[in-house]
Amino acid sequence: MFSQVIKDNFLGLRSNGWQTLALLFTLVLLAPIVAIFYVASGNSEGLWEHLIDSVIPRYVLNTLGLMLGVAIVSLIFGVSTAWIVVKYDFKFRRVFEWLLLLPAAIPAYLIAYTYADFLEFSGPIQTGIRWLFGWEKATDYWFPEIRSLPGACILMGAVLYPYVYVMARVSFLLIPSSFFDVGLLANRNIFIAVALPIARPAIAAGLALVLMETVSDFGVVEYFAIETLTLGIFNVWLGMNNITAAAQIACLCFVFIILLIAMEVISRARQKFADTTKKSKSISPTKLSGLKVAGCWIVCCLPIIIGFFLPVGVLLGFIVKGYSVDLNVELGAAALNSLLIGISVACLVLFLSSVMLFTANYKGDFLMRRLVGLASIGYAFPGTILAIGVVSVFGHLDAAIAGIFSNFFNLKYSGWFGSGIGLIIVACVVRFQAVGYGAVSRGLNQIPKNVVEASQLLGANFFDRSVKIVLPMIRLSILAGGLLVFVDVMKELPMALLLRPFNFETLATYLYQFAKDELLEEAALPALMIVITGVIPVIFLNYTVNRLTRT
Amino acid sequence: MYKIPLSMSLLGLFLGLIILPTVGLADLNIYSHRQPFLISPFIEAYEKESGTKVNIVYASKGLAQRLQAEGELSPADVILTVDIARLSVYADKDLLAVVQSSLLENSIPPHLRDKDNKWFAFSKRARVIAVSKQSSDVNNIKDYEDLSNKEWEGRICSRPGSHVYNRALLASILHAHGYEKAKKWAKSLRDNFARRPQGNDRAQVKAIQEGICDIAIINHYYYGKLKFSEKVEHRSWADNVDIIFPNQGNRGTHINISGGGVAKHSKNKKEAVKFLEFLISDKAQELYASINFEYPVRTDVPLSEELASWGKFKEDKMPIGKIAVLAPEAQKIIDVIGW
Repeated sequence: MFSQVIKDNFLGLRSNGWQTLALLFTLVLLAPIVAIFYVASGNSEGLWEHLIDSVIPRYVLNTLGLMLGVAIVSLIFGVSTAWIVVKYDFKFRRVFEWLLLLPAAIPAYLIAYTYADFLEFSGPIQTGIRWLFGWEKATDYWFPEIRSLPGACILMGAVLYPYVYVMARVSFLLIPSSFFDVGLLANRNIFIAVALPIARPAIAAGLALVLMETVSDFGVVEYFAIETLTLGIFNVWLGMNNITAAAQIACLCFVFIILLIAMEVISRARQKFADTTKKSKSISPTKLSGLKVAGCWIVCCLPIIIGFFLPVGVLLGFIVKGYSVDLNVELGAAALNSLLIGISVACLVLFLSSVMLFTANYKGDFLMRRLVGLASIGYAFPGTILAIGVVSVFGHLDAAIAGIFSNFFNLKYSGWFGSGIGLIIVACVVRFQAVGYGAVSRGLNQIPKNVVEASQLLGANFFDRSVKIVLPMIRLSILAGGLLVFVDVMKELPMALLLRPFNFETLATYLYQFAKDELLEEAALPALMIVITGVIPVIFLNYTVNRLTRT
Repeated sequence: MYKIPLSMSLLGLFLGLIILPTVGLADLNIYSHRQPFLISPFIEAYEKESGTKVNIVYASKGLAQRLQAEGELSPADVILTVDIARLSVYADKDLLAVVQSSLLENSIPPHLRDKDNKWFAFSKRARVIAVSKQSSDVNNIKDYEDLSNKEWEGRICSRPGSHVYNRALLASILHAHGYEKAKKWAKSLRDNFARRPQGNDRAQVKAIQEGICDIAIINHYYYGKLKFSEKVEHRSWADNVDIIFPNQGNRGTHINISGGGVAKHSKNKKEAVKFLEFLISDKAQELYASINFEYPVRTDVPLSEELASWGKFKEDKMPIGKIAVLAPEAQKIIDVIGW
């Protein structure tokens, strides 16, 4: 069927607009990634022998270690808290439901900077310890090193766990209470025997996003000097002036990611039969009192304090002490730019993933569905590498257009993509497509197939079906996805940095010029602005989750 | 059917966003690897002097790839970088124009500019050794080579070897001693580290004050920045160290440069050259010292009072472009020994 589509559309035999459009979007999203592979296909001048002999084992081990550590931390934080707020009723439970999402508003590089500051020798903790015991030098006592692999695992886990938390919580809420009754009758632990197995695919999907973000992270691993594959990409590229070998390492990372995606796809397939009818009642929380409430508070507070309140406190401290730049016109413009990019990317990602997934699901064949899924792979590449892929593709496109203009129309064309914020938007769409794709496809999975089929029988065409039936049914999933994309774009740094037009700052790039020199305190205000603009949609996200599961 | 306008308006929004006003034709457009707050005093001075509007994009990585991808349509006129290896990447990729300017040629010493006149250095930064005032034996350090001596075991701090500043230093040692000796030096140096390499140069001075180590390799201007920082804490780090300009008895202290060139496809080459010439004017050369404690490349410009107070030093006069050539080999050593 897929080849039929190509034949039909490109040979002009029969028009099938939707499939063509979905295919076109897929091509646009995949083009920068193909460009990276193209770079990787060059000759790396025998560098690999050296790399394998020296650094690659280290890079791979550290990358695996980081992935494992972040996975453990985000699973512990995400699943335990999700279960507690679903299964138990205790004072402030409803508040914790959304507080637990807040760390999603903190960029990973920001938590790394703030903690390094907080826990270092001259930070309040160590100063306090020295004062208490009368020590003077760093060599007088032992203190855990935050700039280390375990440190990175805990900190990244603390800001990435909300992906797992959201998925786990929604999944727990959708399990019919009758399932738990059966578990109780069989005298089994209902968390281990019922909730975990059923929610496993959803948790795995959340974890896949966490791990993709982990593999492609550069900010934290550079600051903590952890030699992961991503750090290696930059050493090889900038240190050895060998972008071919760098792109090859990026493609090696890609293998890690493909494994993760496979995991997610398999888990989605399993999710089908785990899917439940919406009519059934979800579990009614058990009322707790006394010490048990305190226990719940501690479990819920820990990730929120580590992942949100402490870093925000550090930033506020800088501002109060007057270290930060003041609010100025430039900063205001940067905030507006961030908002503008965030909103347009969120809308575009949702539009693209809706068109692509609706078409693939209801009109496409196996190959088309796989292609559409593959188009969300941009998340797996480090931002700067993806940005180079994007600029290569669109630079050539610009050159081609310029060629046509001057040859055929004798007109001067001075480049279209390079001049505005178009490239940043394209790059962000390519990168965060995964988030929108996940949200829309989860929404689609929840629609009973017979509803769509019924409407088809009633003679509704594809567009009407999509807009009047499917869209309203999944609007909350779509909204949730859009909010996540928005927050991600607000935090995004490397692509905006490289692809921006002249005299253009986002909050993140504004912050970076100071953070790069380890002068975070001077950028505390823009950092806090990123967090605040992230918090609002995150709270809204909680509302959509509640609506999704409680109607 | 109410959804059509929505999706159409989304598309409209998108199209509207990417057709933003482009930069003016007469403007001077700069791609910079130097942070905006370091470069803006120069821009302001130039705008005032010439009346030309200057536009700037700053990024630390990937600008060369961007310029390459933009090809002939690139709006960039001037490239500014803070490291010779980054600068020569542009030359290697054939992204720089040959500049004919007797002013530049006559003012900048030959070892600090490209023999084909594609790039020029405008300021110098020396890689110096900061030593704790608390210990006296560290004053015996005279050369970079001394740092590999066993007596400094557990007493040296450094940022990761893969950073451009350390890579360039190792490249200069490669140039002076060849592969085997350079590798041995780097390995022994690494064995002397007090802690895993981390942080930037400023963090190494801090580590000395914290008592983690007594010796650190830093770029000289960090010392100046700390000494005159608005923060009491930063000033106390600087107060705690002395700086040593190494290898004064032989080849001289390793220096790196900040420099620039004119983009090959610049539509405004005349103005671009004018800007480069501005960067070696008395005024701009003095700005380098007053903003960032960097040494001017022109030898006839007097040093600022502060820089002068640190004493004159002899610099390693190897052709600076050699550093870029040797950098990949230096990185290989860094990979193998794990610095």
